[in-house]
Amino acid sequence: MDWEPRDFPENNVTDVHPLKELVTLVAGIAAATIILTLAIAFTLDIGMRALPAAWEARLFDGLWSDLDEVDDERHAAAVRLVDELALDWPENPYTFQVFILDSPDPNAFALPGGAIGVTRGLLDSVESENELAFVLAHEIGHFSGRHHLRGISRTLAVTVVLGAVTGGASGTMLTQWVSEVTQLGFAREHEEEADRFGLDLVEKRFGHVNGATGFFQKLPDANAGTVGRLGAWFATHPVSPKRISDLRRLARDRGWRASGELTPLDPSFYAE
Amino acid sequence: MDPLLQIALQVGPFLFLLLFGFIIGTLVERSHYSDIRKREAKTRTLPVISFRRAPPSWQVSSGTLVSGSTVVSIDYFKRFLAGLRALVGGRIASYESLLDRARREAVLRMKEQAIASGYDAVVNLRLETSRLASSNRKGQGTAGVEILAFGTAVKRGA
Ligand SMILES: [Zn+2]
Repeated sequence: MDWEPRDFPENNVTDVHPLKELVTLVAGIAAATIILTLAIAFTLDIGMRALPAAWEARLFDGLWSDLDEVDDERHAAAVRLVDELALDWPENPYTFQVFILDSPDPNAFALPGGAIGVTRGLLDSVESENELAFVLAHEIGHFSGRHHLRGISRTLAVTVVLGAVTGGASGTMLTQWVSEVTQLGFAREHEEEADRFGLDLVEKRFGHVNGATGFFQKLPDANAGTVGRLGAWFATHPVSPKRISDLRRLARDRGWRASGELTPLDPSFYAE
Repeated sequence: MDPLLQIALQVGPFLFLLLFGFIIGTLVERSHYSDIRKREAKTRTLPVISFRRAPPSWQVSSGTLVSGSTVVSIDYFKRFLAGLRALVGGRIASYESLLDRARREAVLRMKEQAIASGYDAVVNLRLETSRLASSNRKGQGTAGVEILAFGTAVKRGA
């Protein structure tokens, strides 16, 4: 047998520059992630909008029991006001619940399942039933547009996909940030929609919209950085001059009276 | 703290490790390959075959076991690339060069041992691979891979 020396084979390594491989993989995976997230969010969105309110209530039943809820003598009055406002929304599929939350920051939330969270701070800061009614009606507006669920579907999609790609825990910070960013434009649109719905309910109840727009006028100066007592509410419900002028224009266009007698709050609000 | 800054602080060390792994890993790999090719040229004259028996014409007079082993670990950059690959499938090119180096280094060590002991050839070459479990993360993951090359070094008579 003849012996012929040969070199070690050089065909065992794929000839690709590592940086090119990195760029290809990162770009490809990023693109796939974005498309997948959008697809999941879109699908969830459709599902959430079609979700019957009764199912929604069952699905999220008990989820809010660990909220920092307080016994507040104003609770009954707030429940009554919500129920009365909802009477002017004939298609209302929800049975609303009201939670008073132990926070000094004025704020209100629309929570899945038909729960409206109101902080103690908000109840302390309102000066007329008209003002409180507008905040509550605005939250009811979020239910009418199913905003509370649609926000969830985006967060859920981002959490699921990013969590899978980054391997869970390491992605939480990023996930939070991405879902906040994706909510931004979305949120503004929803706030405007809820404002219009809320103002409509207020007008139906009181026959004028005084107090509701007065609520905005309390702000010392929206541009000054501090937004006074109502700071927190406007942090989650970003205020802009456009939002206020939109409401004024809406009232004008519909021929709603901008002035009228303010209704005093329930006596429980004055008991101290 | 600004969330963007927080993310930068989280991502920063990762990017550093990635860059560190890439630069050092590339330099090490380049110098290793040039060393391998030089030594392969030097040991080229020693025949290595994978037949179980030497050809009868070799008239083997004596034989002994020779072996060469290497343990390789992977740099951060290659590991990250392989991690991305694992998501989509396909050839893990970043591992290929690493294992290629390890195989050739193991065979070289074996051949160098045979030459140093005055043998003429190696028959029945075998390659074995085993995974070394990592001591961290509950023994999951891979600390490295051992590649063992062994065979029978023979002296040719007449
Ligand atoms: Zn709102």
